[in-house]
Amino acid sequence: MSSINDIFVLIKQVPDQSAKAGINPDGTIDRAKAKRMLNPFDRYALQAALHTKQKYGGRVTAISMGPPPAVEILMEAIEHGADMGYLLSDRRLAASDTLATAYALHKVLLHLGKPDLVFCGLQTTDGDTAQVGPQIAERLDLPQVSYCEDFRVEDGKVVARRVIEGGYQWVKMEMPALVTVANSYHPLAYKSIRGARRVQMLLRNDDEKAKVIKTVTLDDVGADPVKCGLKGSPTIVAKTDKVAEIGGSCVVRQGEPVEVMVRDVLQNTNLREFVSV
Amino acid sequence: MTTEDSKPAEPQAAAEPPKDPNPPQAQYVAPKEATTSSSPQADNEAPPAPDFEALAKREIMTPSNKEVIVVAEQAQGQIQSVTLELLGAGRDLANKLGGKLSAILLGHNVKEASKKLIEYGAEIVYVADHPELENYRTLPYRRVVTDLLKTFELPPHIMLLGSTTTGRDLAPRIAAHFDTGLTADCTELDIGPYEHTNKADPDKLGIYPGCLYAIRPSFGESLKARILGPWNNPQMATTRPGVMIPLEPDANRQGEIREIPVNLKPEDQRVQVMEIVREMQAGVNLTEADVVVAGGFGLGGPEGFEMLKELAACFENGVVGASRKCVDAGWIPYQHQVGQTGKTVRPKIYIAVGISGAIQHRVGMNKANLIIAVNKDPDSPIFQVAHHGIVGDLYHIIPEMVRQLKASGAKVNGGEAQKSLAQ
Repeated sequence: MSSINDIFVLIKQVPDQSAKAGINPDGTIDRAKAKRMLNPFDRYALQAALHTKQKYGGRVTAISMGPPPAVEILMEAIEHGADMGYLLSDRRLAASDTLATAYALHKVLLHLGKPDLVFCGLQTTDGDTAQVGPQIAERLDLPQVSYCEDFRVEDGKVVARRVIEGGYQWVKMEMPALVTVANSYHPLAYKSIRGARRVQMLLRNDDEKAKVIKTVTLDDVGADPVKCGLKGSPTIVAKTDKVAEIGGSCVVRQGEPVEVMVRDVLQNTNLREFVSV
Repeated sequence: MTTEDSKPAEPQAAAEPPKDPNPPQAQYVAPKEATTSSSPQADNEAPPAPDFEALAKREIMTPSNKEVIVVAEQAQGQIQSVTLELLGAGRDLANKLGGKLSAILLGHNVKEASKKLIEYGAEIVYVADHPELENYRTLPYRRVVTDLLKTFELPPHIMLLGSTTTGRDLAPRIAAHFDTGLTADCTELDIGPYEHTNKADPDKLGIYPGCLYAIRPSFGESLKARILGPWNNPQMATTRPGVMIPLEPDANRQGEIREIPVNLKPEDQRVQVMEIVREMQAGVNLTEADVVVAGGFGLGGPEGFEMLKELAACFENGVVGASRKCVDAGWIPYQHQVGQTGKTVRPKIYIAVGISGAIQHRVGMNKANLIIAVNKDPDSPIFQVAHHGIVGDLYHIIPEMVRQLKASGAKVNGGEAQKSLAQ
C-alpha cells in the first residue's frame, strides 16, 4: 500500500473571463463563442497529481466532463506530463448542477477502477461552488481533504496541510482519498518537452490518440440519464437580475496633473484621519 | 431533449444497482410521502396524456417540518461570527415560513456555548458533545448531522452553513448524502413561491410555495441569479462571513437544548488532525482593517503589490487586499483575496487600485464606508460603486498619494512622524 498506482485528476474547461469574446452585453455568457481555457484552479490540482507521480510513482489520468472541445484541456494535461485522458461527453449532461455533475463523474471513476488518489481544483471560475469534489467523495464514500496547500505520502497515508481560517492544520488521511487543492499550492510547472512531443505525435496519429484520450458517454460508464442533466439536478436557476447598485455618484477625476487629482481626493475624503506615518 | 433521450437508457438504469457497490443515498424515514411529487420514475409509470394546464396550477408542498436549521461553527469552543449571522438570516426565513429556527452545534465541552445560539435567535439547539468532535473533521461531522436528520419524521425545510473552509467542506457532503440542492456563497436569502412551467418535465409542473430563494452573483458581469431547489428538502445554502446581519443578542430569549447521540463508525476515523496552527498575528486581518488597499490585474505584475504595501503602511490599520485574478496568477497569497471567493470586507476606506470591479469582487467590498478607485479605464465597473475615482496611470498616482499622505501625516503627528520621514 506504500506505492501509488493510479492518480486521477479532475479538470474542467471554462470560458476565459479575461477575453471579451462571448460575453454578452447583458453579462450572460455565450459558451460557443467564448475563448476556452483550463480552469485556473485545476492547474494546481494537475501539479499536485504530477508531483505525486514524480515522487511516488503511478499513472496520472486526467478526467473531464463537457462538450467535445474539452479534449483540448486533456491534451494540455498530457503536455504537462499526464499519461491518459478521459472525457465524459454526452448531450444528456446539459444543464447539470453540481449534484448531477458529481453523480456523472463518480460513475466515470467507478468505470475506471479504484484510484489511490483523486485530485480536484478547489473550485471552478465559472461556477465558484467548490462542491463537486466533496460530492464525488460522498458518492464514492472516500475521505477528503479540501483546501490542501501541501502534502506528502507517508506509510501509505496522505499527510496534508489544509487551509483554515486564520491559519492551517496538518491532517493524516487513509487512502484511497480525494484531495481538493488550494491555490496556495505550487503553481503548475511549464510543459515538458517530452509531453509536448507526445502531443505532437498524438495530433498526427489518430490511432494513438484514440488509445491515450478516450471519449465516453453516459451509457459507456453505466450512468442513469435521469440522474444527469436538468432532470438529475435538484437546483434550478429561476431568475437572473441586473445587480442594483448605486451608480453615478462617483466623483471621477481625469486628465489633470496627478498631483492635483490626488490632492483633490485627499481634501474631499477622510483618508488623512487614518494616517500614522 | 432530456425526456426523449432518457427512455432508451431505462433498462440499463434498472440493471445498475447490483453493479454499484455504494448504495447511492439515504432515504428519510418517510420515503413514501417524500417521493409523491418528486420522483420522476414514479410518474413515468402512468403516462396517459397529461393535462399540462391542470398540472401547472396544482400546488405542491414538498414534505418538511418547516424548520430552518443552521449548522453552527465553533473553533476552540467559541461560536464563530458567521454562525450568528446565519441565525440572523435564518430567523427571517423561519418567520416567513412559520417554522422554527434551530441550530446544530458539534464540539467538545460546548454546552455553555450553545446558550449563545439561543441568545442570537435559535429556538432549538441540537448539541453533539463528544471528544472526537472537538476539532472539525469531515466524516465525523457528516455522520452526526446526517444521523440527526434521519431521526426527523419530516426533513427540515432549509439548512444553512457558513461559506468557510468548514462549511464548504461539509455542506456538499450533506447535500450529496440526501440528494438535495445546495447553493454556495449566497449574498441574499429569501422565501417565495416558484412556478415550474417547463413541460419537458411534466412530473414537476406546479406551484411550489415557500421555496428558499438563494441569491448569488452569477458568472459574468452585473448579474445575480436566484437559485431554487424546490423538489427536495432541506434546501441548502452557504453564505460568506460578513454578509448577513446577526440579531441583537438577548439573554431573555427562550430556547431548548437537546443533546443528540454521537455514533461514529470506524470508517469515520480515516482522517486524523495532527496539528492546528493559528497565526492570527502573522496572518492578514482583512476583515478588521480600517483601510484596505487592494490591487487588481491592472497592476501588471507582483511588483505592484510592493507599492501597495507602502501605501497601506501609511495607515494606522491598513492592509493589502487583492482581486482573485492576482491570486490566481500567483502575485499574492490567497489570504489577501477580497470578493466572492475571498473575504467580504467592510472597512472605513477601501482603495481599489487597478481593479476593474467584476461583480464577484464588488460583492466583497461594496459595503465599505468610502471607496476610492484608481484605474486607467474610465468605463471600469469599479467606478459604479466607488465614491471617488482617479483615472490615470496607477504607477504615478499611488506614489504621489503616498508622498502627500506622508507629508500630511508629518504635519498632524509632529516631530515623531518627521523622524520616520527622515529615515
